[in-house]
Order: sequence, then C-alpha cells, then structure tokens
Amino acid sequence: MVGEGKKKTMTMMLFTGPYGSQYADHMCRIADRALDKGYGVQIFLYGDGVHSQLKGQNPKAFFNVGEALTKLAEKGAVIKSCVRCSTARGYVEGEFNEKEERYPSSKTIDAVKIYSLYGYVEMLGNTDKAITLGSSN
Amino acid sequence: MSKILVLITHPPFGHENTFAGLYVASAALSKGLEVTVAMTGDGVYAGQKGQVDPLANINMPSTEDQIRDILDLGGRTIVDQDSMSERGITQEELIEEVEVQPLGKIQDVVLDEGEIIVTF
Repeated sequence: MVGEGKKKTMTMMLFTGPYGSQYADHMCRIADRALDKGYGVQIFLYGDGVHSQLKGQNPKAFFNVGEALTKLAEKGAVIKSCVRCSTARGYVEGEFNEKEERYPSSKTIDAVKIYSLYGYVEMLGNTDKAITLGSSN
Repeated sequence: MSKILVLITHPPFGHENTFAGLYVASAALSKGLEVTVAMTGDGVYAGQKGQVDPLANINMPSTEDQIRDILDLGGRTIVDQDSMSERGITQEELIEEVEVQPLGKIQDVVLDEGEIIVTF
C-alpha cells in the first residue's frame, strides 16, 4: 500500500447532501478523528454530495456541515467536488482557473475546490483507505 | 498501483448512482488504474444489453454503453449470478463480455480485486 512507512491516507467520498441524512455528519466526524490520528484526509463530494459545499449553511439544530468542512480544511484535509455534478446543480460560474486549481463559484465555501472527476481518481490512486458514504440511498 | 473495485448495487435508471459509479470506473481506467466493476443486487440490471437509447428517451445515460466503454478500456466487469437468479435474469440478456460469477463467488472477487472499494 502507498502509506507504508509514512503518513497514511484516507479517501472519503460523499454522495448525498447535508441534513436529509447524517452521512455528511458521519463523514466529517470520521475525517476529524482521522486527522487527529495522523492520517492525511482526502474528501471528494460527488452527486448530491456537492451541496455540502454551499456557502452560508445555517441549520438551526443540525450539525453545520459547511462549517465542519471549513474546519477540516484548516486542519489539513484536501476537499474537492465534482465539476459535472456542481455544474448540474448550478454552482459553477466559469472555466477552470489554473492558478487557483478550481472552477469558480461565488456560492461555495473556500474549503472546497470544484474539480474534475480525475481529482477523485488521483485520490484513489494515492490512498491507504477508501470510504464511500451516502451512496446507499 | 492500487486495484479499484467499483461495486454497483443500484439499478441503472431512477437514481444517479450507477451512472456515477461507472463514470468513476472509466475515469480511473483512463488514468491507468486497474479497475473491476462488480454488479450485485439491483446493480445486475446495469449489465443488460439492448437498452434502447435511454439518453434520448428518459434523459439518463445508457449503462450498456458505459460498460462497453469500460471493457474497451481494459476494465473487468462481473455480475453476481445469485442476484441474477433472484431477478430472473439470464446470461443471454447480458452484455456478452461481462463475466457471470457463480453463486457465492462474488464475495471472493470483492476481497481479491478490491484493495480500494467504492460503492454506488
């Protein structure tokens, strides 16, 4: 495996949006614990999972997934989302920005970079563990 | 190089899951990764041939076309015979190149082929 003798890496894919289920919460809590245990954490938002990147989430009672993703990025998690899924759901506002390595959007939190699906493939090609959440809906 | 197993458990239409999973498989193959697609449960319907232009008819991509692309790219595709039997699907109804695994063997394939397992 790629992580032998060095920092281990975990890749998480979220396929469902926040609040309708707790998959996003579970992912964020597992990712946070993994970071605390010394893992490198890579997250890819796919399908309806891209809604977790929405800026300004304000749940009254639920776990705030947008804030959690921002904290995870601050702790070192790499977080990307699918451009095809994001475009379909109205997030993408232009062509790929080479300098920032992301597709532009004023509607998303800075912690998440909208990227091609190859971003997920690169994560899978460089990981010790892989988990998918929310694809059983 | 990691072996990636894409486990398909949803039917081809009605949900985005199967399209999304097969799309990951194609992308991974095009980047040189080793990929096996395993269809089980309602996922076995994705392997049926003769889909009549679903993109034009119901605005959903053809999983038959996606699987043929995966095979062309060198991917392995397997279908769980147990799930086929439960649903009355015969091997003749499937894309010819898709492998049908005997009863109970799908679990062995998942363990042998899946260093990295992603589920849809």
